[in-house]
Amino acid sequence: MGGKVTCTLGEVKQRADFIVYWGGNPAECHPRHFTKYTIMQKSKFLPRGRKDRTMALVDIRETKSAKAADIFLQVKPGKDFELITILRALIKDQRVTDDAIAETGMTREVLDDLVRRMKSAKFGCMFFGMGLSMTRGKHMNSAALLTLAAEMNAFTKFVAMPMRGHGNVTGADVIMRWQTGYPFGITFNRGYPRYNPGEFSTVDVLVRGDCDAAFIIGADPGATMPRPAIETLKRIPTICLDPHVTHTSKLARVHITTAPQGIAAPGTAYRMDEIPMPLKPALKSPYPSDEEVVRRINEAIARKPFWLKEGSQPMTVPAHG
Amino acid sequence: MTLQLHLRQQPDVPLEAEVISPDQLAGLSNAQIRELIIYHGKRQVPLEEFFDVEGDGSQDVVLHGDLNKVRWVGHGMKSGRITIHGDVGMHLGARMKRGHIEVHGSAGDWIGAEMKNGFIHVHGNAGGQIGAAYRGAPSGMRNGTIIVDGSAGLEVGMRMRRGTIVLGGVARDFCGLQMKGGTIVLREGAEIRAGAWMNRGTIISLKPLQMMPTFAHANDDTPTFMNIYSRHLNQFGIDLPDGRAAGTYRRYIGDLSVPGKGEILVWQAG
Repeated sequence: MGGKVTCTLGEVKQRADFIVYWGGNPAECHPRHFTKYTIMQKSKFLPRGRKDRTMALVDIRETKSAKAADIFLQVKPGKDFELITILRALIKDQRVTDDAIAETGMTREVLDDLVRRMKSAKFGCMFFGMGLSMTRGKHMNSAALLTLAAEMNAFTKFVAMPMRGHGNVTGADVIMRWQTGYPFGITFNRGYPRYNPGEFSTVDVLVRGDCDAAFIIGADPGATMPRPAIETLKRIPTICLDPHVTHTSKLARVHITTAPQGIAAPGTAYRMDEIPMPLKPALKSPYPSDEEVVRRINEAIARKPFWLKEGSQPMTVPAHG
Repeated sequence: MTLQLHLRQQPDVPLEAEVISPDQLAGLSNAQIRELIIYHGKRQVPLEEFFDVEGDGSQDVVLHGDLNKVRWVGHGMKSGRITIHGDVGMHLGARMKRGHIEVHGSAGDWIGAEMKNGFIHVHGNAGGQIGAAYRGAPSGMRNGTIIVDGSAGLEVGMRMRRGTIVLGGVARDFCGLQMKGGTIVLREGAEIRAGAWMNRGTIISLKPLQMMPTFAHANDDTPTFMNIYSRHLNQFGIDLPDGRAAGTYRRYIGDLSVPGKGEILVWQAG
């Protein structure tokens, strides 16, 4: 319960002297993360740069990022939630048996050392990747780490942040949040936003076949979603906006080629710490941008006579006056 | 006199029919019931477009057909009885205050979510989040009884405050997540992480459970309340070993990470 305890990458760069990467491989997936924001930078508060910072890596295997880490914890696959819950107990001086700790692939000495370092840090930051958020337990694994970060604030400043990827996914969350109050998994069918991940989130809707059309912008669910979801996308009219030919565009009824964002189309993208960044196009494209396509579709719909029976449309509150 | 509703055609997208609740239907004529508004996706349609209505409004409502995509049946019901012959979709009996729901088939997620009181019996399987709190809400079911003869999905009884959930089959992960009270009886056990982050409340399992590492073994005995509890559950045809049975309950306390005072009782046949 409660909000996310987080900060910007600028604060991490200036102040974070204890950094944990959990279930991610920044050396290969976010190669500039170390040098630009986390461990390599010198700052007013950490003048010796790397020497003033401690980095811990928690993962199921020794990836390239382990070389950069001061502490590497190899957790048994599927035991992240248990390990975080043990840490939550240990920071409160609760007794956890050695057998319970051993089940996660850790020893008491290692965890005691980690807890001691976490508590003695001036500013701790935890980054978590898909190794945590996309394995068994899903949202509860992320919730566990965010709760641990929140509870660490009883001892010292601690924050947590997801390692986002795939273009502007943070932007989608941020925009949904300020417009509706919810980040994702929203339905508007009653004329006002309702939020229930699991019921209205894209993958669940597609797996159950709860929708009769799909409009996909800048994503490739055809490559990542489970088989029943892809079957639904094939069955229903799917419209796909993408600069490239993707798995989704191949199974879509309509594919509109758009200009690639940031390369040939301007706009705003949100960094993983939810800071908006302007995108300046370097090239010109013969294709329209996503925004222009959506605007033209909206204009075409507005010109059509209303197609529902009188009295059968939901009551909606117009967003602008 | 009962009111019979037959699903005539399968909806393409979910049908939100919170008006199918005895206290809303009682006292209405057949014609008035046909005119009631339900939501087919975003379209408001009269009930008769999807249901054949037999009889006048009554406290006893019987539904027939494969209602997989029909949601919010019995939402906030205050009285009466709903019987469903077939499967039913999400949010069955959510926020109900009193009354009786029986499903001769399977049910979807969120049955009895945030219910205040009442009784739900599902003869088939059920989905996840039984008696749970909706996202962002502090507590789930406040009282009442939910019985599922088959298996259940994720996060059964998440943040429940009081009341009883009995599962005949296996529950998936995170059974009793962040429980604040109440009782969950698992006749066939659960998958991993049962009782995670629980604060108070009781989980009784008749099969061995894989415990969270943050639960501590307390003692082995049969608590005295089990005699009263098993007698209470006997009226629903559920047999729970009590003081007379050969064996004990192994008692675990947790979750230490909260730190909570919840208990998990695992039956050990003697």
